[in-house]
Amino acid sequence: MRKFWLVCWHEFKRHVLRKRFIFAILSMPLFVGVIGLVSFLSVWLQYDSTPIGYVDQFEILKTSQQLVKEPNELMGPVKILKYADESSAKTALENHEIQAYNVLSEDYLDTGEVTMVSEGKTGINIGDDFNDFLTLNLLNGKDPGAISRLSEGSNLIIRSLDGKRELNIENWSFILLPIIAGLLFVIAVNVSGGYLLQAVVEEKENRTMELLVTSVSPGELMAGKIVGNLAVGLFELLIWTVFTVIALNILPNFIPMGDPPDIPISYILLIIATFLPGFVMIAAAMGAIGATATEMKEAQQVAGFFTIPIVIPYWFITAIMFNPNGSIAVGMSLFPLTAPLALPMRAVFTTIPIWQLIVSISLLVLLAVFAVWLAGRVFRLGMLRYGKRIRLKEAFSKLPGGRA
Amino acid sequence: MPAIVVNQISKNFGSLKAVNDVSFDVEPGEIFGLLGPNGAGKTTIIRIILDIFKPDTGSVSILNGSMTEEKKNHIGYLPEERGLYQDIPLDRCLVYLATLKGMEEKVAQQKVESFLKRFDLADARKKKVKELSKGMQQKAQLITTLIHEPSLVIIDEPFSALDPVNTQMVKDLLRDERNKGTAVVMCTHQMHQVEELADRIVLINNGKAMLYGKLQDIQSQYKSQSVVVRPVTSLPAQINGVDEIVKQNHHYLLHLSHGATSQQVLKSLMDSGTDLEQFEIAIPSLDEIFIQVVKEVQPA
Repeated sequence: MRKFWLVCWHEFKRHVLRKRFIFAILSMPLFVGVIGLVSFLSVWLQYDSTPIGYVDQFEILKTSQQLVKEPNELMGPVKILKYADESSAKTALENHEIQAYNVLSEDYLDTGEVTMVSEGKTGINIGDDFNDFLTLNLLNGKDPGAISRLSEGSNLIIRSLDGKRELNIENWSFILLPIIAGLLFVIAVNVSGGYLLQAVVEEKENRTMELLVTSVSPGELMAGKIVGNLAVGLFELLIWTVFTVIALNILPNFIPMGDPPDIPISYILLIIATFLPGFVMIAAAMGAIGATATEMKEAQQVAGFFTIPIVIPYWFITAIMFNPNGSIAVGMSLFPLTAPLALPMRAVFTTIPIWQLIVSISLLVLLAVFAVWLAGRVFRLGMLRYGKRIRLKEAFSKLPGGRA
Repeated sequence: MPAIVVNQISKNFGSLKAVNDVSFDVEPGEIFGLLGPNGAGKTTIIRIILDIFKPDTGSVSILNGSMTEEKKNHIGYLPEERGLYQDIPLDRCLVYLATLKGMEEKVAQQKVESFLKRFDLADARKKKVKELSKGMQQKAQLITTLIHEPSLVIIDEPFSALDPVNTQMVKDLLRDERNKGTAVVMCTHQMHQVEELADRIVLINNGKAMLYGKLQDIQSQYKSQSVVVRPVTSLPAQINGVDEIVKQNHHYLLHLSHGATSQQVLKSLMDSGTDLEQFEIAIPSLDEIFIQVVKEVQPA
């Protein structure tokens, strides 16, 4: 058991202390940060806080109440100034006191016709701001609650027939959770699986394997490698989670983000129950492929057969969302290779029958155990075989020298 | 109690008979030569001894019984296919491999330091293994073989990639191990290296043991009726008791007549007034013995 931990710790340290790992682990939040920053900058550069004017010669609006800036709102609504006639608005525009002015037509209430006049480029925000301004002032005098509700819209709650599962559209981050968690799972599986593949193929290529198997049992060696590389993937996920939590704590100071997601603990347990055996299953498969392959390029090609099925639920995301109890969704949540993503996705939109949960997770765990067992066998068979592939039939037959 | 007892082992790979009914034993405190040309089956025998392969027939006893995980900690193995982690610092690689042999990490670190100094690798301790020369990697590999003070050392082609200075250092190391009571199995096709070191040998060809026993006994058994002489000036054309005179690089090989002795030939040379720098009985090299043995078993 001590040697298992030694192998495990060695595998973990070997990857985590590499410069390319540190770069890879930081590049993801950096990439997301850069994308966010570029998006923010592109909006900010098109934002113009210069006031706009409006001409309402027919006194359609009874008041001229200004929109209020939300707390922490970086790009608040522009000031909207009233002009008695179009010529005074035009003069203000020429003097750059305003960036544009809107003229309400006489039959605005019937047609909604508004003419905007500007010198050319205007801020991206002024259309929405003027619409909000019109809504606010047309409804002036009405119940403030009604005004607020009209401007904010309804909060749609979708409830399952048995009342056990409820989806609140305002809780949008809960809907995104399985998609984002699944994406991180796929990345982490590929990363740790890739490392495991690389570790085994490298040890075969540089002939370290023969030295190792005269120090550690093949079973301990393989198990240590699987757990060590699994830890690398989980460590990567942990770092990204920390970055996400930090970002979610900092961003609301600049951007209104709504309420934090309300994620049931049972849902988090479901994610763990599907991701963990899924992780082990893929890692073991990678180890087995590494032991059978003759070189890294060949190993990577074969590895694709195991990693591609994992992402299939993304291709059917619409079917899962709109028909979470349909045959596609149910089938994919029972099939072990697609279950790690399909099951959490379905669980957002429906109450999954208990028997399906039991069957799905049991199949995943069984396949994970079988994959580790098979990987150990294949590893023993292929560890010292250079330049010659192993056939699947051999993996199930006896081991070299009569080992059953 | 022998460190290794190999008892009539055979191993086939498909139709290839890699090892065919081989038996030998290795005692503690001896250097044992497992010899043979490339492809003779030496590495397969080693892998069977180390329980990497199981023999089809026969049995192996290692350190007084079957191989166990605990026994792996008392065996030092230098495989023919050298392998160290290429992309991690040398000291980390050595400490890791030493801990896999059952050493505590702190003890392993101290021993690695002392071995690196002894092997003149102290300045390279933080270098990645791939940055080391072949000879340096070979020395590092030897450290992994010996660091945990094994009671059985099995080394496959230990002198490959080593210069003469390091070759001598390794020879001294192996002698030290023998003197400490370690059983050393040296597997090589470079038979001249074994002549200097080995106490006993087994010579393998095509998976079969051709010769087995004490090196001196084998050399005596195959001793030829020849003497090596190096005259100060030249040799007489005719020498009593000599059938044939063969000039070699800096000396002559005299093949004696049937019934003639080396003492008679020496006397004859003295009587003829030939001054000699060297006169010795020609001892056949292992290479020569091997060629002779192979010729004997091959059908005419």
